[in-house]
Amino acid sequence: MNVEIRDGIAYIGGGLSDWNAVVNLGHSLCAEPGVNNAAIERPDLAERDLSAYLAMDDIDETDVVVIGGGISGCGIARELRKRECGVLLLEKNSDVAEGTTKSNNGMIHSGYDSKHGSLKARLNVEGNALYDELASDLGFRFNQTGSFVCAYGAEDEATIAGFLENAKKNSVPGVEVLDGNRSREIEPAMAKDIAFTLWTPSAGYVEPYEVALALMENAIQNGARLRLNCEVKGFAFSEGGESISKVLTTHGAICCKHVVNAAGLYADDMAFLARDGFFSIHPRGGVLVIFDKRKPSLLKTYLGVTPKNFTKGGGPMMTPQGTMLWGPSADERADKENLSVDEEGLRFVIEKGVRLLDGMDSGDVITYFAGNRASTFNEDFVICNSKRIDNLTHVAGIQSPGVASSPAIARMASALVMERKGYGPNERFNPVRRHKPPFRELDARETGGENVICRCETVTEREIVEAIGGVIPARTVDAVKRRTRAGMGRCQGGFCGSRVIRILARELKIDPTEVTVKGPGTNLLISRTRG
Amino acid sequence: MREITADIAVVGGGPAGMSAALRACGLGAKTVLIERDAALGGILNQCVHDGFGLLRFKKQMSGSQYAQQFADAVYESSASVMTETTVLKLIPGECGSKAQSRQGLYTTGEKTGGALIRAGAVILAMGCRERPRQQAGIVGSRPAGVLTAGAVQKYINVEGYLPGRKAVILGSGDIGLIMARRMTLEGIDVAGVYEIMPSPGGLRRNVAQCLDDYDIPLRLSSTVTEVHGKKRVEGVTVADVDAARHPIPGTEVFVPCDLLVLSVGLIPENELSRDAGIEMDPVTGGPVLDNFMMASVPGFFAAGNVSAVFDLVDYVSDTGEAAAEGACRFLGGEALPEYVTVRAGDDVSFVLPGKIRRDLPSSALYMRVKRTIENAVLEILADGKPVYEKKHPIVTPPEMVTARFHESAGSGVPDAGGLTVRILGD
Repeated sequence: MNVEIRDGIAYIGGGLSDWNAVVNLGHSLCAEPGVNNAAIERPDLAERDLSAYLAMDDIDETDVVVIGGGISGCGIARELRKRECGVLLLEKNSDVAEGTTKSNNGMIHSGYDSKHGSLKARLNVEGNALYDELASDLGFRFNQTGSFVCAYGAEDEATIAGFLENAKKNSVPGVEVLDGNRSREIEPAMAKDIAFTLWTPSAGYVEPYEVALALMENAIQNGARLRLNCEVKGFAFSEGGESISKVLTTHGAICCKHVVNAAGLYADDMAFLARDGFFSIHPRGGVLVIFDKRKPSLLKTYLGVTPKNFTKGGGPMMTPQGTMLWGPSADERADKENLSVDEEGLRFVIEKGVRLLDGMDSGDVITYFAGNRASTFNEDFVICNSKRIDNLTHVAGIQSPGVASSPAIARMASALVMERKGYGPNERFNPVRRHKPPFRELDARETGGENVICRCETVTEREIVEAIGGVIPARTVDAVKRRTRAGMGRCQGGFCGSRVIRILARELKIDPTEVTVKGPGTNLLISRTRG
Repeated sequence: MREITADIAVVGGGPAGMSAALRACGLGAKTVLIERDAALGGILNQCVHDGFGLLRFKKQMSGSQYAQQFADAVYESSASVMTETTVLKLIPGECGSKAQSRQGLYTTGEKTGGALIRAGAVILAMGCRERPRQQAGIVGSRPAGVLTAGAVQKYINVEGYLPGRKAVILGSGDIGLIMARRMTLEGIDVAGVYEIMPSPGGLRRNVAQCLDDYDIPLRLSSTVTEVHGKKRVEGVTVADVDAARHPIPGTEVFVPCDLLVLSVGLIPENELSRDAGIEMDPVTGGPVLDNFMMASVPGFFAAGNVSAVFDLVDYVSDTGEAAAEGACRFLGGEALPEYVTVRAGDDVSFVLPGKIRRDLPSSALYMRVKRTIENAVLEILADGKPVYEKKHPIVTPPEMVTARFHESAGSGVPDAGGLTVRILGD
């Protein structure tokens, strides 16, 4: 490996050795004075043959293309629609929130631990403060229950004091140190051996895929457009090479005036394809474990621990939908598509949860899964206008506390676009999303007659049909699941799976063998039986 | 909201619910039977293989034939049947001040509308569900093509679709064994059945008829540890396990397949029961019951797989009848005698029911044993003294052991001593 430092960026080139060595090198380079970030050279992208895509017809045009339908991209699309500019969001998967967003634990951090002075610290505290209003406008659940950092004894005192000081510098509201008894008054499920805690009342949680969907639906209700299954393969540039003229996709070429790179795990690929690579994404995997709904009454808040006891990841919490979730763990992964649950990560999450909660065991696990955080080597958000391309804005390196920060990220990204393009305000923007409450939240005494398809989560046929015909139509089993919760419960789709497939096939007028779990190649049924 | 009144409401139209409804009607009770599916029969409707009804009808029937026999009788009876109807909530004592507490059941369904059913007694017959993949502790990716055996059975036998071309089956429970044969007959290549325990989880006859007859390998003391594949399953890692059921490092083998079928256990479906405040037995996964099949909340009864997972449908039908008799006796206002506790003793994992009312002429006991024992003796002790003894040439964990326990043996027993059921080897 060789390293060259240009304009404050350490470029790593040559043959890469072991992935952990690369990650360590990237991190240590970022610690050097004068180095802002590190990037692995990508000659493969610089030399990608785009002739096939350049030969494709122009199929669309708009003012601003947003690449990536995660929580960041969806929020940015909505924020941009507060201005008089056309917005088109491109997502390579078959649904929004299909990448890192869906595997996030939904924590809305208070901001006590983000390094003071970092972009993360500022946007976290700003984003947290915006969630109340956003939740009421968009109609998603935001439970602001507060969170604890648990400490066992004197050895944790310095850490907690450090967090308190950092929290105050970051202007986190309401933070204080509580003794064990006072902490257990707020959180009775907390283990008895916890001596004192840092209490941050502004923390809470959301279902991140629910937020992303709500943001994008509202963006669409305000005139934004969405292309799913549309993968960006490269860019065409103006004659002098100073701006992007077209976005080259698997659908065809899209002419636009500005591009926002919110491509998550692939934001570095997009930057290099746009001839502006100055950071790399090194995926950090995390395992999340979900427990049966009947356990949850145990826990009201969120429990974390000082990094001394566990060096990585999150602890037990309750999702707004009432399930208990533990995790995530953290491990560096060379492959962005590696979403496998590893035994060590699973054991780590469960052991940590058991230590923090009295009366818990792993017997009520209903599912576990993994996601990859889109981390850069400087471990901060990269949100800026390109220095080389005059119509490109990067929103990259969005990892924890990305969901908490996302409302502030969207505002910042929109402001950056406006720095380059002065679109005026959109007076007709309506921040309120139209939506119906789910059937399961209705009073059993007042519900009408509906066919229940998912017994575990009480989801009806009408709700599934509405999801399939919704603002962002659900076309896959997982898309139906994220909108309705069908298949998210304790039997994990064992009962409702075949029914959901039948409804999808009927509504989309396709054969059941054409129904997919999560996009092309994930068909569940192969062929008809002989009979 | 529409209101319906009945003496007995039965939740679930599988074999337990149908036999309960039939017996309740036979005893003159006004009965309503609620089923979430379009047809009565429950999971039997997807069981096209035979082996059902040997005890009750003394002949080989398929599951669907067995179900049809009952369904026909239910439709000929006075029971009112509500199909495509889901019970949302059970509320004990919701509706009433009459001598018998009146139970409330809120239901929904496109055909039947939203309804409140008021009933004097409720028989829970919701059956059981399959354990999902995560409860088997399998790690790896989450591609399409990991299904429970019951789901595969439904896709093939009811929907008419094949969910894969080459399958690995984890778990040698009865559904896994049946599906090994069924998939083979449909042209799916079954690479093998892997069982974490040292002995098969299903009935011996199923091992012979479903695996041996088709040369499907059964690998005991081995398990699937990891799933591979990004979009569709591409294969699984299997490994041998030690005595503590932990995979032995170095024994891992990759088996290519596009379908992993799980037969890793069944769980009684008791969410409604729990919400109604009914006390549960952690071993059976069902309500704590007496020999009227009555649960801890008076007026609530349970029958079939909701009370504990049975191996034979005949027993399920029997418990439905017992529950209906109990419910009618309860409605008659007859004072219930005191009960004694029935405990699982040596080599017995559970006994159903866990309580026996005194002074009953006869009562069926169902139990599962912990290990295979030849020349076994089932012994019941009352207050420490043997009061019942029966020889069994062999008892195995997959096969339920039953005893028809007569008498009064319990009548003089102080509950402190209770009854203990144990299995003795030779």
